[in-house]
Amino acid sequence: MAGIGNSGSLHLKSLVKRYGGFTAVDNVNLEIERGEFLTLLGPSGSGKTTLLLMMAGFQDITSGDILLDGQSIAAMPAEKRNFGMVFQGYALFPHMTVRDNIAYPLSVRKRPKAEIGAKVDEMLDLVHLTDFGHRFPKELSGGQQQRVALARALCFAPPVLLLDEPLGALDKKLRIEVQAQLKEIHNRVGTTFVFVTHDQEEALSMSDRIVIMNHGRIEQVGTPSELYQHPRTVFAASFLGKSNFLHRKDAVYALRPEKIDLAAAGTGQGANTVSGVVQSVTYFGAMLKYQVQVPELGEIEVDVDAWRGGTPVAEGTTVDLTWANTAAVRLEIEPK
Amino acid sequence: MKTGLAARFNSGLAWLLLVLLVAPALVAIPVSLTPRRFLSFPTDELSLQYYRKLFTSPEWLSSFGQSAVIGLSSTLLATTIGTLCAIGLWRVSSRAGEVMRAILLLPLVIPPIIAAMAFYRLFVPLGLIDSYIGLILAHTVLSAPLVLITVSASLAGFDPRLEQASRNLGASNWTTMRRVILPGIKPGVMAGAVFAFIASWDEIVVTLFLSKFSVYTLPRRMWNGIRENTDPTVAAAAVVLMVVTLVAFSIWALAVRRQRPTE
Repeated sequence: MAGIGNSGSLHLKSLVKRYGGFTAVDNVNLEIERGEFLTLLGPSGSGKTTLLLMMAGFQDITSGDILLDGQSIAAMPAEKRNFGMVFQGYALFPHMTVRDNIAYPLSVRKRPKAEIGAKVDEMLDLVHLTDFGHRFPKELSGGQQQRVALARALCFAPPVLLLDEPLGALDKKLRIEVQAQLKEIHNRVGTTFVFVTHDQEEALSMSDRIVIMNHGRIEQVGTPSELYQHPRTVFAASFLGKSNFLHRKDAVYALRPEKIDLAAAGTGQGANTVSGVVQSVTYFGAMLKYQVQVPELGEIEVDVDAWRGGTPVAEGTTVDLTWANTAAVRLEIEPK
Repeated sequence: MKTGLAARFNSGLAWLLLVLLVAPALVAIPVSLTPRRFLSFPTDELSLQYYRKLFTSPEWLSSFGQSAVIGLSSTLLATTIGTLCAIGLWRVSSRAGEVMRAILLLPLVIPPIIAAMAFYRLFVPLGLIDSYIGLILAHTVLSAPLVLITVSASLAGFDPRLEQASRNLGASNWTTMRRVILPGIKPGVMAGAVFAFIASWDEIVVTLFLSKFSVYTLPRRMWNGIRENTDPTVAAAAVVLMVVTLVAFSIWALAVRRQRPTE
């Protein structure tokens, strides 16, 4: 096993969670492999957090089973599961110092003082907070609090670490920095990470595999590039990245905006060429975003590298749009 | 300006009400310093003789001691029971729990004289009349709801994820309560304890029904002092009673301020 931590596999079998008439989690089957970084991605209300809380033991299961390394843990109380968890808002104990927060899981396990001290030092080093041990949580920045929460959740070497939107409270710039740190820590400890987010960029940049969830069900599972290149449903194609949807006969195709080339009218060369009128151009620094009205397809979004394109094409201009045959992905109309 | 006038009228009214509420209590201060032999305002000189009498007379001292014992014991019991109830109801948070909470708060609504009669009827066959235990139990029942209210208020601001975090990190229910929940709701527990102590410390109605000869609390002795003669020692005792109450409040206020964030 790689890494300095522990690592376990999780198997979710036909998991269902109902509240009265509402089904929050609907027959979820999922194998989470040892040591992988798996992301549950979905909009709010998609059941991703409920699923995570069921793994943690904070939500009862209506039916189905959860296996850790082949053993059922469905009936095991949260405090016996030995899972680490980073909560939304971190849930650091406000009356304890950073050291005491990190030591908490070890001291409730009645480990010897010397061992606790050494382990806390090691964890502070892992999250680069060596000089902050004596501070209280409220004296730390959001990013530092997030790292304390991570250290506290990892210091008892749990087989699985559950993370509930841990970066939601950070501003965008800091979030990208913390993503890299989190990924690095995952590589070092080798623990199985189950990460919940609604942020698709976060999911794409960090995960080994992504589970796209919608209405309590798994929409699609795969590596970030599998999901991006080969979305199976309209929901997957539009939630992870942007897509144009082409309706052809009885099929729907997803076409990513950056896979379309824009050329002057009459000069388009490619397997698929249509002509349309530019409705609007928006400048994003690295790229230009065009909205093009195509009579037979409706409004199509096209992304063009800004440095490549020269002067932007003006609104009202007629242009040709072309794309390769492999660029458009045929979707299943009904998910699964 | 219309709003300015209204605001000034409001604050004037608030001050007037405050004076009306506090002034009667403050009357005890000059009366306690009278040099005369009956309850009266001092005219030309002040005297501390009744404070001397208060702190030297065996009867008054014994009443202080009894009130303190009953007050501290019932505070301890009421704080424990009230805090546990509040945490339990917070955890359950169901409709049945809210009904339970209403029942637990009933002692606050029932007129003291009715409660006193109820205790009397219950305690006579149990042999608890005129005993420390009887008064401690009665005062506990009367003051536990106060603790329930203050602790519940603290719990309303307590992040339930802290409890989840503690359990997730491997702590049992008991450890979670001792190391995470109780420190988080300490201001509410302490406020409840102060209210409980004060409720017992100046309780008279139930005490009159439940005590005869051997138990003689401070309010009881003051009551008798006023009824049987007009001994100004009563005024001195009233001042001491108020000072103790104020001190209890101040300790609580200081403790709460220390709990606040340092910045």
